[in-house]
Amino acid sequence: METIVIQLIAAFIGSMGFCMMFRLRPGLLVPASAGGLLCWGVYLMSMQWSDGIFAAAFAASAFAAMYAEILARLLKAPATLFLIPAVVSLVPGGTLYYAMSYAVRGDFETSGSYWAETVQYVLGIACGMCIIWALFTTIRPRKN
Amino acid sequence: MKADTENEILHQILDMGELLLSTGAEVKRVENTLNRLGKAYGAVRMDVLAITASIVVTMTFPDGSEFTQTRRIGQMSGTDLDKLERLNALSRRCCENCLTIQELKEEISKIRSEDVPRWYVYLGSVMAAAAFSVFFGGTLGDGAAAGTFAVFICFCQYYFIPRCPNRLIFNLLCSMAAGIGIYGLTALLPDLQADKIIIGDIMLLIPGIAITNSVKDMLVGDTIAGTMRFLESLLWAGALAGGFMASMWIMGG
Repeated sequence: METIVIQLIAAFIGSMGFCMMFRLRPGLLVPASAGGLLCWGVYLMSMQWSDGIFAAAFAASAFAAMYAEILARLLKAPATLFLIPAVVSLVPGGTLYYAMSYAVRGDFETSGSYWAETVQYVLGIACGMCIIWALFTTIRPRKN
Repeated sequence: MKADTENEILHQILDMGELLLSTGAEVKRVENTLNRLGKAYGAVRMDVLAITASIVVTMTFPDGSEFTQTRRIGQMSGTDLDKLERLNALSRRCCENCLTIQELKEEISKIRSEDVPRWYVYLGSVMAAAAFSVFFGGTLGDGAAAGTFAVFICFCQYYFIPRCPNRLIFNLLCSMAAGIGIYGLTALLPDLQADKIIIGDIMLLIPGIAITNSVKDMLVGDTIAGTMRFLESLLWAGALAGGFMASMWIMGG
């Protein structure tokens, strides 16, 4: 439980850091960073129900895309502004590091399984975003 | 002389597209924006193709005259959501109520030249690296160390990316230098965990957003742009991995 709380707080601060690195204006920092926290929360919840990284990353990223689209409409700003900070906590920096470090030590079996995890994260995030994108594009009223 | 005005319109539209692409907008957004903007300035048909390295636009006017210009997009300057938002607002304003070409030109160059203060970006890097170091299981001490090296990485991004031949070399050298520093620090302070500190700093350099965006581009139908950015980001990530691996060998991590 304690690690979950720490992770959620870290996800919030980390997302806010990324927002600032990506030069988001201060007025939007809090709603955008909250996306990072919620997205990680969804990931952790999904991990309870399924043990596949792909499914959990998919759910979390779909949630992030939905959150970004809704916020974009409420705050009248492009959805990208909220999507990038929200999915940042899903970026597989950790698995990438372990994949490399086992490769350096010559343990290619362990390294391979970390690479596979990294790929699952990336695919899950991309597919999740796409589904929501397709949904919102389809239902958006057409302008002539 | 009429052709001059039309070429000037097209030129400004391409300026807008170039700036949008280099601030990190997806190609779909760039194509849509240029389409709408062109029609707002009187084109009956817009043919826009944007990939990460180039934009090609043909504008067709009601009298049947066609104008084509292409623009080579140089190095990416890095994601800049502030510029992205302001460009988006500008294009919306233009579509509702056309600005004159001179006004549009001034607005675009104003957006291009105004940058967010550097301390804001430095502070963001420190927060991001420290928080993700803790996020992946580091202690507060690890977070502080990751934050310290984030200052170094951010400094390198400001001063060496313009001087480096490409991002590949930059990622390799920057991650190697940071890796050597981190392993050196953990040799002095054995309580710190090198892996957690490095993971925090990897998050700053890893093109994670670019990779996921490129996969999304491919799935969405922009196959060329997606493939280009995907391969490019994989090479960057490879260089990053290579740099940290080299530092592990050098320091015997």
